[in-house]
Amino acid sequence: MNKKGFILAFLFASVMALLIACSDNSNTDEPGNDNDSNNDGEQAEQVLKIANDQEPAGLDPHKTPAHSSVRIYSQVYSGLVQFDADMNVVGDLAVDWDQPDDQTYVFNLREGVKFHNDREMTAEDVKYSFERILDEETASHIASYFSNVDSIEVLGDYQIQFNLKSADATFLSNLTNASAAVVAKEVVEENGDLQQVAVGTGPFVFEEWVPDNRVVLLKNENYYDENLPKLDQVIYYTMKDEAARMSAIRTGEVDLTTVSAQSADLIKDQEGLEVKDYQSLEYSYVGFNNEHEILSNEKVRQALSLATNRESVADIVWGGDAVVSGPVAPSMGDWAIDVTEHELYSNNLEKAKELLAEAGYENGFDITITTASTYADMVDTAQILQQQWAEIGVNAEIKQIEWGEYIDTWVNKTADILVGRNGSGTDPDRALNYFFHTEGSANVWNFSNADYDELVTKGKTTVDLAERKAIYDQAQNDLLTLSPNLFLVSPMKYVAVRDSVEGFTPYPHDGEYILEVTKK
Amino acid sequence: MYAYILRRLFMLIPVLFGVSIVIFFTLRIIPGDVAATILGTDATPQALAQLREDFGLDQPLYQQYFSWMGGVLTGDFGESMRTGQEVLPDIMSRFAITFELTILSAFISWIIAIPLGIIAGIKRNSKTDFGVRIISLLGVSVPNFALATVLILVLSLSFSYSPPVGYVGFFEDPITNLQILLLPAIVLGTSMAGAVMRMTRSSILEILRQDFIRTIRAKGAKERVVIFNHALRNAMIPILTIIGMQIGVLLGGTVIIEQIFSLPGLGQLVLTGINQRDVIVVQGAVLFIAFVFVIINLIVDILYSYLDPRITYK
Repeated sequence: MNKKGFILAFLFASVMALLIACSDNSNTDEPGNDNDSNNDGEQAEQVLKIANDQEPAGLDPHKTPAHSSVRIYSQVYSGLVQFDADMNVVGDLAVDWDQPDDQTYVFNLREGVKFHNDREMTAEDVKYSFERILDEETASHIASYFSNVDSIEVLGDYQIQFNLKSADATFLSNLTNASAAVVAKEVVEENGDLQQVAVGTGPFVFEEWVPDNRVVLLKNENYYDENLPKLDQVIYYTMKDEAARMSAIRTGEVDLTTVSAQSADLIKDQEGLEVKDYQSLEYSYVGFNNEHEILSNEKVRQALSLATNRESVADIVWGGDAVVSGPVAPSMGDWAIDVTEHELYSNNLEKAKELLAEAGYENGFDITITTASTYADMVDTAQILQQQWAEIGVNAEIKQIEWGEYIDTWVNKTADILVGRNGSGTDPDRALNYFFHTEGSANVWNFSNADYDELVTKGKTTVDLAERKAIYDQAQNDLLTLSPNLFLVSPMKYVAVRDSVEGFTPYPHDGEYILEVTKK
Repeated sequence: MYAYILRRLFMLIPVLFGVSIVIFFTLRIIPGDVAATILGTDATPQALAQLREDFGLDQPLYQQYFSWMGGVLTGDFGESMRTGQEVLPDIMSRFAITFELTILSAFISWIIAIPLGIIAGIKRNSKTDFGVRIISLLGVSVPNFALATVLILVLSLSFSYSPPVGYVGFFEDPITNLQILLLPAIVLGTSMAGAVMRMTRSSILEILRQDFIRTIRAKGAKERVVIFNHALRNAMIPILTIIGMQIGVLLGGTVIIEQIFSLPGLGQLVLTGINQRDVIVVQGAVLFIAFVFVIINLIVDILYSYLDPRITYK
């Protein structure tokens, strides 16, 4: 082939390559482009663009606990009950409910509620949904929340009864979980599962999911509350890089995004933007292997608690935007006790050294702190603890591992000390029973204390609110003293919002509440 | 030549077989259980066991491997453990995006690097040469993720500009498509350009010292003819090698750049797959990338013989 032939062949190959590269456009249409808001005094298009840091990991509410998925399917599905702004349980698909006895709940369902496929939702759907959750074959992450359900009876099209094995004060708050969603049987049967499709009764209708790109939701015109939602469309863009999210919110390419404490600081004074903060339900912790040769000694754990300066963790890791926390995060309101007065929160190094000496470690000891390199705050926390504990002679080595390995370490209890962050849940039972009861499904600390177990079991079955609070106050104090974990601080969370967005208020239990949002 | 191409294509079989074994077993060795990663800390042991069974992870490894390879041989790469989406169509649609980005980046790289490399080669040790060498050194040494982040920050802070969000296909909206891809292509193109520029310069320098160039000049050929018709063509072999390598690497997914610019390309697919321990996606994607890499190498080898007729394949 001569030179001319070569050039022609090369050009042909390039054009072909470009054609192939661009040939698959089946899922790349842009729904929001013609809907940008304007400032001309005309009615703005009600399209909210949200930048998310993570890609959804599937859309099945019964099988996917990842927050990146929850934030989407919680807009598509509804449950029986939900939390209001003050975290009181109020009706959602249920109008109201009775409790004939401690072990029985009867829910009266809203009439005329339709799934997004236009079929009416009835009590049979509620029964099917919870039986799907409890079916072992579903492998649902929230099966443990409803393991106390003995049977479910349909009393009529709009009435359903849950019979519990024992009195359970957590039942209603567990029902508020976004994963306790009511799904349509025919959609599950047609698709095998709900990871790719979403047909619920919620305020938004699932339109499309383009992987690693966007999820589009449209307004549910048949939503049971005819005044909600106010938006016509919500588009969630996956933008994993924080600099890109910052750039997009600064220039108005997106309307809303969650940001880290450091970024919140950078953009808080930017014109056209507002940074809204709220106290999260999370707390950072130091988890001990309570069967470890050294850490099994209660005095050692107490010494480490005394050697920990929690305020400096709040200042250095979270720029001061975090509050000292116990096992129940302060944003849980009355359920949380004031931990700052507890003796082990006094950062008393002399007392810490005394306790270590009493435990037989007057010269300190060597230990490994394991944490996830994926999250900078966890690594920073581990480094601060390393410095603080060195003052009482504890020589800690930090082992940073990747997230998948971290979860493996957590499940298999292979770390001596694990630094991480936990959610307090929406009921103190999660923070106290689930993580620290001997049989608790997330007690990965090998912690076992018969008195404590008895206390939190009583808390779960005590329906009287005042009595229950007294039990959980005691349980929190006991946990601080026994120190199976050290509870550090509960951070603030931040959402950057454009000025064109009105009516957005993040809540501790729902940082992305968009039902009342409008665009101007 | 055709026999050579066929033979090389035939060689793909053992290469891909080897890659499939390495990637399959490597993914099984890395710590992290997909069931625990998916279900999180709330899951009961029964739920975890059920999920492992659903994915066939309770089967012996060799059985898992043969069942996967059996599917691959019939064009079925399996379904994502996370989303249930079929892997092969996902790979293809993402490859299209990565391919377009690669072509744009390579184009930007060539229009910067080859002319500047030639000029630097011709005007050796001049100010222009030093300028080009500094630029190429910067191109090689500034990490592209740093350049990308700085570019994003400078554009948004100083010019209130941010590329449109959400990827759009070329035929859907060519202008928006190019707007989205321009910044990442510039970042990748400039970092590719550094190496190509250096190679072009040294290669031209080398050729210009050859006897045949002196002969051509002695015959009174114009300098333009000497450089473009004779020197550049002979200098292209090493340049083509490095370009081929760069394109091969880029087609395997420009993980960090795709992440920074939120492009749903092949790199993002692999990264998300690894983070989520979605081994079916990762092993399918890696096998595909290996295939592309081998093909690119074959194309480069064939191009050698067009550039230099002395190179023949039998």
